[in-house]
Amino acid sequence: MSEVVVDRLNKHYGPVQALHEVSLHVPDGEFLTLLGPSGCGKSTTLFAIAGLDSPSGGRITVGGRDFYNGASGLELPPEKRNLGLVFQSYALWPHMNVRQNLAFPLRLRKVGKKEQDARIEEALALVEMGAYIDRYPHELSGGQQQRVALARTLVFRPSLLLLDEPLSNLDAKLRIKARSWLKQLQRQLGLTTLYVTHDQSEALALSDRIVVMEKGRVSQLGSPEEIYRRPANAFVADFVGASNFLPGDVVDRNAITGTCRVKLAGGDVLTALWPDNSAPPAGSLLTVRPEHVKLSAEPPLPGPDVNILAGRILERAYLGARLLYTLDCGHGMVVMAETETRVEGDTAWLCFAVDDTLLVRA
Amino acid sequence: MSLAEPQSRFFRPDRALLIQAAVALATLALVLGPLVPVLWQSLLDRPLYEADPLFSLDNYVRLFGNPRFHDALGNSVLLALLSTLIATVLGVAFALFLERTDMPGRGWLRNLTLWPMYVSQLVLAFAWFILYGPSGYVTLAVERMAGVPLWDMYTILGMGLLAGTSQAPVVYLFCSSSARMADAMLEDAARSVGAGPLRALWSVSLPLMRPSIIYAALLTFIGSLEMLAVPLVFGKPVGLEFFTTFLYMEGLGAITPDYGLIGAAATLLLVVISILLVIQGLLLRQSKRFVTVRGKAQRPKLAPIGRVGWVVCGLMSLYTALVLLLPLAGIVLRSVTSFLTPLMSPFDLLTLDHFEILFGYEAYRRSILNSVFIAAFGGALATLFVAMVALVAHRSEFRFRRALEFVALYPRAMPGIIAGIGMFWAMLLLPFAHVLQGTIWLLMLAFTMRGIPMAFGALSPTLHQIGRELDQGARSVGADWWTTVRVIILPLMKPALFSAYVLLFLAFLKEYAAAVFLFAPGAEIIGTTMLTFWTNGSTGPVAALSVIQLAITALFVTLARRSLRTNKDV
Repeated sequence: MSEVVVDRLNKHYGPVQALHEVSLHVPDGEFLTLLGPSGCGKSTTLFAIAGLDSPSGGRITVGGRDFYNGASGLELPPEKRNLGLVFQSYALWPHMNVRQNLAFPLRLRKVGKKEQDARIEEALALVEMGAYIDRYPHELSGGQQQRVALARTLVFRPSLLLLDEPLSNLDAKLRIKARSWLKQLQRQLGLTTLYVTHDQSEALALSDRIVVMEKGRVSQLGSPEEIYRRPANAFVADFVGASNFLPGDVVDRNAITGTCRVKLAGGDVLTALWPDNSAPPAGSLLTVRPEHVKLSAEPPLPGPDVNILAGRILERAYLGARLLYTLDCGHGMVVMAETETRVEGDTAWLCFAVDDTLLVRA
Repeated sequence: MSLAEPQSRFFRPDRALLIQAAVALATLALVLGPLVPVLWQSLLDRPLYEADPLFSLDNYVRLFGNPRFHDALGNSVLLALLSTLIATVLGVAFALFLERTDMPGRGWLRNLTLWPMYVSQLVLAFAWFILYGPSGYVTLAVERMAGVPLWDMYTILGMGLLAGTSQAPVVYLFCSSSARMADAMLEDAARSVGAGPLRALWSVSLPLMRPSIIYAALLTFIGSLEMLAVPLVFGKPVGLEFFTTFLYMEGLGAITPDYGLIGAAATLLLVVISILLVIQGLLLRQSKRFVTVRGKAQRPKLAPIGRVGWVVCGLMSLYTALVLLLPLAGIVLRSVTSFLTPLMSPFDLLTLDHFEILFGYEAYRRSILNSVFIAAFGGALATLFVAMVALVAHRSEFRFRRALEFVALYPRAMPGIIAGIGMFWAMLLLPFAHVLQGTIWLLMLAFTMRGIPMAFGALSPTLHQIGRELDQGARSVGADWWTTVRVIILPLMKPALFSAYVLLFLAFLKEYAAAVFLFAPGAEIIGTTMLTFWTNGSTGPVAALSVIQLAITALFVTLARRSLRTNKDV
C-alpha cells in the first residue's frame, strides 16, 4: 500500500519560506495534482517526497513508513525510497541508450539479466516504445523521450509515481494526446500518482483531486469539479480561469440558500453564492467566469436567479468559435464575457446566473 | 536626405582588408618561420646553410637505424603513457570530488590543486630533485630509517609520477568545467531510481565527462611527449634518453651537430603530435551524445558523501603536501642554505651566498630582468597580436579566416624545443635576420608563436558571446570594420584580454625549452640561466633563481586576482 501523508511540511531557503505547513493526504491509487504558478512550492513538495530536496520540518510518510521526520531528524536518502520520479527535462542519461537507461535501476536492484530483459520489454511495451530500444536519447523526439522517461520509472515497479511537469516540453497537440494516454496508463496500473503542473486544464482533465498551492501554502484541496465550480478564494478562482472580479459591500446573507447580496460601487445589487456558515469577511470579491456571462442588446428579463448589469463594449476579440468581449460596467469595473452571441453597437446587457456567481475571499 | 547617403558605409573599404591581410601574413610567417626550416632540413644531405644541397631521405634512414633513437622513442612513449594515466586518474577524481560532492575543504583544495600550473615544470623538477632525488633530503631521511633507499627517481616510473602530478591540474581544469555544467537532474534521476551518491557519480557523472576526459588525456599525452625538464633532470644523469633530450643532446651536446638527424627527429615528433591533434578534433566532433535538452533552470546541487568526504579531503591534503608544498618548501630552504641534508640542521647552514651570486653578476641579474621584460612587455604585445588574429578569424569577412584559425592553432603541435631549433635555423636562412639573432626580441617572437593557441583559446569564447548584432549595428550606422572592432568589440573583450595577458605573462615567464637554442650573452632568461647552473652542478643558485621566479609569479598572480576582483564590472 502506498498511501502518502505529508504533515505540516516546512522549507526555508535562508529567510525565504518556500513551504509553509503543507499537509496532504493521498489515499492509495489516487491521482493527485499539485497545481500552482511557478514558485508556489509544488515542485519543492514533490522533490521533498522524492528525497531530492531537504525540508526544514514536518513529516512525510509513504505506505506507513517514515520517509522524513523533522522531529526525529530522520531523512531517508532518495535511493532508499523506491519512488518513480519523471523529471520535466526527462533527465534521460545521454550516454546510455534506451535499454541501458531502463536497465540501470534494475542493475542497482540486482535483477538477473533474463528478468531485466523481460521487464524492460514490458515497460517499453506499456509506453509503446518497444521499437526504440537501441536508440540514444538525442535520437528521440520530445514525446518519445517523455515516454522513455516514464518507462524508466515504471520498470522497477515503484510504490509511487511522481511526475514533475512531464508534459510541459511537448507541443500543444502532443500534450493533449499524452494527457489522455497518461491518465489511461495510471488507471491501468493503479499507481498512486503525484503530478505537478501549472496548467489548470491539464490538472482538471487528469486528477482525482487537485491541490492548489500559493506561496508555499495549500490554498485549496478538492475534486476538479470543486476547484472549478467553488474556488475557495480569489487566488484559486483566478488560477482556474475566472478572470472577472468585482469588489462590493455585502448587504445581507441568507444562510438557508447559502447566498449573499452584494452592492457594487455603481449601486447595482447582485446575488452570489456563499456556501460558508460564517459571514463573508470585508473585501471579499464577487467572481464569475467569462464563459458564464451572456450578452444581449435588449435588457434581459430580471429574476431571482439571475444577475444583470449594463456595460459599454470596449473591445471585441475574435476567438474562432466564440467572441471575447471586454466591457466597462462603470466605476472602473471591467468585465470579460466569452460568448457565441454577436452584439452590435456600443453597449450591451450582461446577464449571469446566481449559480455561476461566487463570493470569494480576497 | 544626405544622411541616408549609403556612401559612408563603404568608406575606405580596403583599410579592413589591409589590416586583415597583414595579421594573416604575420601569423603565417610566425608559424611557418620555425616549421619550414625543420621540414626542409630533414630532407637535405647537409646543414641547411651550406650551398648546393641534395635532397634525400637519408636522414630518416639514419634516424631509424640509430639504436639511441629507438630507446628514446620507446622511453618517450612509455613516459607519456604513464604520466597521462596518472594525470588523468588524478585530475578526473579531483574534478568529481571537488565539483560534484560536498566534501569538506573544497574551497582551498580547488585553489591548491591549480597551483602547479603556475609553477614552471623546470622549477618543479628541481624541487623534486632536492627532496626526492637520489641524494634528496626526504630520500636520505627515509633511507636512514629503512636502511635501503625506498624509491628511485631516476626511472621512468619516478619521472611519470612527477610529470603526471604536475599535469593533473590541466586535466582537472578541463574536466571541472564540464563537471560543473553537468545537469544535476541527471544525478537526481539516478538517485531516484535507487543509486547511492557515489554510484550516481560513477555511473552518470563520470561517463558524461568522457569528452573532456579524452580531450584532456590527449593534451597530457602531447604535453608529456614534448616535455624537456623532467627527462633532462631525472633521465640524463643515468643515460635514459627521450625524444626531447635526444634533440637537446644532438643539438647542443655534440661538437658538430648532425643537422639532418635533428631535422628528421624533429619532423617525426611534429608528425606524431599533429596526428594526435587530428584525432582529438575528430573525437570532439562526436560528443553530441553527451548533450541533453534542459528543462527549467537547474538547481545547483552537490552529492552528499558524508564520511567518505573527510577521507578524500585528508588524502588530497596529503597529496598536495607531498607533491607541491613540501618540494616548494624544500627549494626555498635550499636557496638559503649551503647544502641540505637530514644529517645537519638547516639552520646551521644558513647563507645568502646564492642570492649574492645572482645579484653580483651582470649576466645573472640580466636574465631576471629579461624574463620580467619579456613576460610583461612581450606578453602585452602578444595579447594584442592574438586579439587581432582572433578578431580576423571570428569577426571579419576575410576570405581565409578559417585557414587563419587553423594556422593560429597549429603551434599546439610544436614543442618548445622544436620551435627553438626552427627559429634558430630560420635565422640562418633568412636575409637580415641576423639583426634579431641573440636578442630578446627573437625570444619574444618564439614565445609569442608558442603562445598563440592558448591566448586564442582564451579569447574565442568571449568573441562568440558578443552578439553579432552589435557589429551589425555599428556597421549599419556607418562604421567600417576596423572602427567597429576598435570602438565596439575590443572594449567588450577587456576581461578576456586581461585573462589572455595573465596566461601569456605566466607562460613567457616559465618558458625555457624554446629558449635553449636561441639565447645568447645579453639575451639570457631565468630558465636558461637555471639550466646553465644545473649543468655545472650548482644547485644553490638554481634554487635561488627558482625562488625568484616563484616570487615574481606569486606577486603577479596576486595582483592579477586583485584587479580582476575590482574590475568585475568591466
